[in-house]
Amino acid sequence: MLRYVLLLIIMTTSVQAHEMVPTYPKLESSYMEGLQKTNITIFNKRPEVEYYEIGVFTKDWEPIPFVSTYRVFPVPYLSTVTVELFIRDKDKERVTYICSKSKLRKSYETRPAVSSRICSKVKRRGE
Amino acid sequence: MSNIKTCLVALSITTMATTGSGQSNDTPINGTVQSRCVIQTDTPGTYGNPNAYELSTKATAGGDNAIIRVDVTLANSYYVNITAPSEFSSSPTLPDTVTWTGDTTVKTLSDATGMSAYETNKQELGMTDKYDLTVTGSTWFETESIATLGGSRAFPGGNYTSVVTAECIAK
Repeated sequence: MLRYVLLLIIMTTSVQAHEMVPTYPKLESSYMEGLQKTNITIFNKRPEVEYYEIGVFTKDWEPIPFVSTYRVFPVPYLSTVTVELFIRDKDKERVTYICSKSKLRKSYETRPAVSSRICSKVKRRGE
Repeated sequence: MSNIKTCLVALSITTMATTGSGQSNDTPINGTVQSRCVIQTDTPGTYGNPNAYELSTKATAGGDNAIIRVDVTLANSYYVNITAPSEFSSSPTLPDTVTWTGDTTVKTLSDATGMSAYETNKQELGMTDKYDLTVTGSTWFETESIATLGGSRAFPGGNYTSVVTAECIAK
């Protein structure tokens, strides 16, 4: 009983969250020749975070070049931002992870800060 | 003439009332639920300074461990890496090297039965602990961090910040 009460208290306290969808994005042909595109959506419920950074990686976590409006872009508190990413056709088969990472401001307190990073996966046929 | 006016007014009121009561609008509220991972910072943590050469998040040292909650809405689709700090992201100039120790453990589970093996099945690589989230629900992770200055020298006065990294990676 005590455990459920504790759980309820923890769940009802204010939290600071970072979330990103979709879990499994799909690459599709864009209106520009030679480029694939996909969209990711980030929701920011972390009041201390104003900016998020996007990265695209291979299965071995090597960075892959991509084009977007910005690599680091603002996501105001309690708002959702959808980002369109363009990736070269030749990199299509190498793209595995698309990640968003919170950018932390310099702190003037003695404490550990929490950096959050969420990665979606582009699945291949058969995975 | 006035009778006709009265009739017209009465008729309009009746029509309005009838129209108002007879209409009903169904307003649909649509929504789509997409599977996702949500990283939440329940407690960012604080360092206590139990002695001159040590900063610690342990409660016994006057600090608070960082508590991170991870929610997943799709079973067996994500793993989580939580990395305890191994350097200060900002600090005064230090007179010696810092030795770091840190550990992450599962603090609370929303499904005690399905998630009971999370802690025993975790993989540890240096400061990083990797958990396979096989069940939907919430998991609270607690990260402890201790920084000890070499030669038992005192930490200079100032603010010290380190970073705990929580990653949720789709499988």
